[in-house]
Amino acid sequence: MSAIRTRGLRKTFRTGFWMRPVEAVVDVDLDVKAGEIFGFIGPNGAGKTTTIKVLTGLVLPTAGQAWVNEIQVSDPNSRARLGFLPEGTFFHDYLSATEFLDFHGALLGIPKEVRRARIPKLLERVGLSGAADRQIRRYSKGMRQRAGLAQALVGDPDIVILDEPMSGLDPIGRKDIRDIILALRDEGKTVFFSSHILEDAEVICDQVAIILSGRIVKQGYLDELLGQEVVGSELVVESISESLHAELQRASRRAVVQGSRFLFEFAGESDGEKALDRVRASGGRVRSFVPRRKSLEDLLLEGLQQEKNR
Amino acid sequence: MSSLSRIWVLARNTYREAVRDKLLYNLLLFAALMIASSILLAQIQIGKDERIYRDIGLSSIAFFGVLIAIFVGINLVYREISTKTVYTMLSKPVHRWEFILGKYFGLLSLLAVEVAIMSACFLGVLVWKGSEFSIGLVWAIGMIYLELALVTAIAMFFSSFTSPYLAGMFTVALWIVGHLLADLRAFGKTSDIAGLRELLEALYWTLPNLDRLDFKADASAGNPIELARAGMAALYALLYSFTLMAGAIVLFQRRDFR
Repeated sequence: MSAIRTRGLRKTFRTGFWMRPVEAVVDVDLDVKAGEIFGFIGPNGAGKTTTIKVLTGLVLPTAGQAWVNEIQVSDPNSRARLGFLPEGTFFHDYLSATEFLDFHGALLGIPKEVRRARIPKLLERVGLSGAADRQIRRYSKGMRQRAGLAQALVGDPDIVILDEPMSGLDPIGRKDIRDIILALRDEGKTVFFSSHILEDAEVICDQVAIILSGRIVKQGYLDELLGQEVVGSELVVESISESLHAELQRASRRAVVQGSRFLFEFAGESDGEKALDRVRASGGRVRSFVPRRKSLEDLLLEGLQQEKNR
Repeated sequence: MSSLSRIWVLARNTYREAVRDKLLYNLLLFAALMIASSILLAQIQIGKDERIYRDIGLSSIAFFGVLIAIFVGINLVYREISTKTVYTMLSKPVHRWEFILGKYFGLLSLLAVEVAIMSACFLGVLVWKGSEFSIGLVWAIGMIYLELALVTAIAMFFSSFTSPYLAGMFTVALWIVGHLLADLRAFGKTSDIAGLRELLEALYWTLPNLDRLDFKADASAGNPIELARAGMAALYALLYSFTLMAGAIVLFQRRDFR
């Protein structure tokens, strides 16, 4: 069963005095299976937020269709089991976190007794127990993001859509959000999140879709998309002669001096292994040698190249 | 969960947001001072004390009520969009018409409390000065409230498709014209300019005729209020407000929140 599905989704905005058409999303087909973590990846302005806004009923599609929980997004009931964290932490900041969650819980029709029991637990889960009765306007950005996440979870949804949930957070905040996303999957929920931070997506996603200039250029399971193929290697050495340094620099794709150490990046595994043998033979010291698999960044760059050639 | 419950939740939050706004308390304070000032003004004009208490009291309730209706009304929906707080609300199973009605009824509740507080100040002045409190005054205050409901609907209608600045200007303009329609119509009837008579006649029948809801002069003079006239005026205000809110909903329904 698809938790989220789109077919031929298209959104054209009219901008400026002459109402010039700008295509924000073009023929987007998405398939998000229930119980998975789905990463929606792309640079800023690629169409991630517009797609999410169509899914959450905030933007009306120009063409195509979208379903959440197998219900068309034009029907507000499609959002009955949906939690949504918008990008940018814009909330009713005259409310305390408890009031904020109570308001959104009430909008979902959750009975008062259930809200009363659930809200303190949720605030504890996102690390806001100590600031439950403080007005949101007195929160830091990280705390607002946590309050927003609690809001997305207040209805105990089956599907959670998070728009750039790690944006602007410090490393601890990012890790906390990653842990919560993983825990949500363990609870059987579907998590659909957008990000331009590729490392985060690579660590936690089952499936990803890469969107560029409003079009999906890659979509699938991470293992299938990235494969096992080694696409390069990284060698860090020290105590090598100047001539060997010059030789390795010529053979490598990139060379960086890090104090007394030298880092060389090779295009393939075999080039790296040859360099490794040369360093050992010359009496140099090898600090590390890491074969590198294809990454999401490589996929994104491939996609950008495809877009350029199109 | 029913639409009614969601509208109630939205209205309650709108009310809570508005009562945490300091502007409101400033306006209320000014209104109370204005009503109290009638005591001083009455001392200047000998022999018409009671009329002055009533005139100033009723006018203050109407004027400050309209100020609140316009200032809060034009910002009510716009602020939710500009601060993007609308995102978390409309991404719930909430119909857009429920959202608009929730905001509207939230402001109407606030205005009801405002009018009640100002009326209590007014009553206080009348009791203190031993002036008579007639049923006509209750009617006049009720009609002021219906006028505020209509002005709020005008403000929300304009703010559903334009900026608060323009919405404010249009609403104030309609409020002023709405009180002059009968005069404009009378002027048109005596005019020789081609088409002016028809134009003013058309405006008289299409624009909100707020004079119909004005029972202040009769109540202040102690004249009896005709129930049939008051009933028709109330029906007029309700139907006009309903039409404007339907328009606001249609416009809001097609909006993209970018």
